[in-house]
Amino acid sequence: MTPDVFLFWFLALLIVGSGLAVLLFTNPVYSALSLAMTMVGVAAIFITLNAYFIAGVQLIVYAGAVMVLFVMVIMLFDIKSEVQAFTSGKISGAMKLIAVGLLSGLIVGGIIMGQKSFVGELSKDAAAQVAEANSAKMKRAAGADAATKELGVALFTKHIFGFEALGVLLTAIAVGTVALARSRGGTHAK
Amino acid sequence: MGHDSFEITINCIKLVLIFLMMVQAVPILVWVERRGSAFIQNRFGPNRVGPLGLLQLLADAVKFLTKEDFAPDRAIRPLFYAAPVFALIPATLAFAAIPMSVPLEIGEYVFKIQGYDMNVGIVFILGVSSLAAYTILMAGWGSASKFSLLGALRASAQVISYELALGLSIVGVILLFGTFNLTEMVIAQQGPLTFRAFGHTISSQFLPNWGIFYQPLAAVIFFAATFAESNRLPFDLAEGEAEIVAGFHTEYGGFKMLMFFIGEYGHMMLGSALMIIFFFGGYGIPGVTVADVRQWAAGITDSATQISVITTLVHFLSFMLKFVLFLWIFIWVRWTLPRFRYDQLMDLGWKTMLPWALGNTILTALVIYLIS
Repeated sequence: MTPDVFLFWFLALLIVGSGLAVLLFTNPVYSALSLAMTMVGVAAIFITLNAYFIAGVQLIVYAGAVMVLFVMVIMLFDIKSEVQAFTSGKISGAMKLIAVGLLSGLIVGGIIMGQKSFVGELSKDAAAQVAEANSAKMKRAAGADAATKELGVALFTKHIFGFEALGVLLTAIAVGTVALARSRGGTHAK
Repeated sequence: MGHDSFEITINCIKLVLIFLMMVQAVPILVWVERRGSAFIQNRFGPNRVGPLGLLQLLADAVKFLTKEDFAPDRAIRPLFYAAPVFALIPATLAFAAIPMSVPLEIGEYVFKIQGYDMNVGIVFILGVSSLAAYTILMAGWGSASKFSLLGALRASAQVISYELALGLSIVGVILLFGTFNLTEMVIAQQGPLTFRAFGHTISSQFLPNWGIFYQPLAAVIFFAATFAESNRLPFDLAEGEAEIVAGFHTEYGGFKMLMFFIGEYGHMMLGSALMIIFFFGGYGIPGVTVADVRQWAAGITDSATQISVITTLVHFLSFMLKFVLFLWIFIWVRWTLPRFRYDQLMDLGWKTMLPWALGNTILTALVIYLIS
């Protein structure tokens, strides 16, 4: 087992574990904290793939900003009724079971399909593969700045429409949220 | 990590050393802070234990270690105990990416005086240090106390708000140097102030080529935002003794409290180090380049290893001098300025610093586009 493989399995287990925790915790605060842990794990996976810029952005945007807001807002609310709603009831229990089943099905399927191509070839000629991958890694690490530039150029030229459309969508969501919240009397609702 | 066991061992030791350096600097900083605050406020400060009160640190350490391990009755134990441990992680991880001197060359080995060198050092540091908000939230929620929760919510709102201004103020610097790599930034700031505009090269005799001369506004915004990020006065709304006892660490005592303290000082050190690297030439010495220092060292000894050691040490000293100066400014400001009101804090973050940082980014981009 090379360090890379060990790291991958460790991080994968961490991500899947904390992802499961998001579903299985009854307290929304714990769920949100577990989701943050998942985000950090995904960022770490990006680092092992030498995508440092994406990893950093993942940390800043998702783990550092979005999830902190989630956790903060949940802490501001009185969540007793939510905790109760999630702990009792056959429907929510069944939903959880279905979600866990679907997720584990995905994982098992992924592993089975992965073994045919990726792991199979790795075990065939592992040493040569690893050496090749390492040299490719070195090359990519040297060109990390260039990769960031490439990413920016692609984002602002080739995918400019998608980028702007997402921006419009997010603005629409923000406006819609405010409108929905105000229509019921906002924070002063009885 | 390295190619053979010697290099790997040294690199591992280096990581531990940087962590220990950071943690060991905290008691000294606490002493400086207490003596300095006493000096500013016309008091004596700790002066009974040992010469100049220096042994007060040891007495404090013993006190912290022997205090009763206490948790509130209704506290959520896992979060309550995890929070102080997590408080150490963001600052430590980020500080390991700071280049502190020129690489040390021993024979064929090259050791960087930095935990690890990353091509996107800035993005990494911002990403890791943005995780600090969780510690505060975990401590506030886990303590099951009103004061803690109020303090935690205040603190995290503040940290998130000022992170925006902090990140945007750095964009100008990144545009200027054209790199995310901290070492390359330091190298770009060596020598006298020189820049090319409209085909002419403008050069100055006495000013060093430091970032602050190109980005003065960014420097001011960045420095103010680091105060907010490390939750220190004038931005210590998170604590606000007169209003909410001690904020998110109201319920913490003994060593757990000390760990929050180390985290705060870690953020202070990180802020100072980044300030030096972005705007004050990193480990560079004004008026002297690395090559000059190496030549001077070559006049003293013949051995290549010794020359390298001397060069590294001289630049490390230069870095430390600037570092200590900025840490002192942190302490100085804390004991000079009063605390903001909460609405003033939010106004300053969202309505003043954010627009100015945005404007600075756009202006920098325009100027760079026009003159090149």
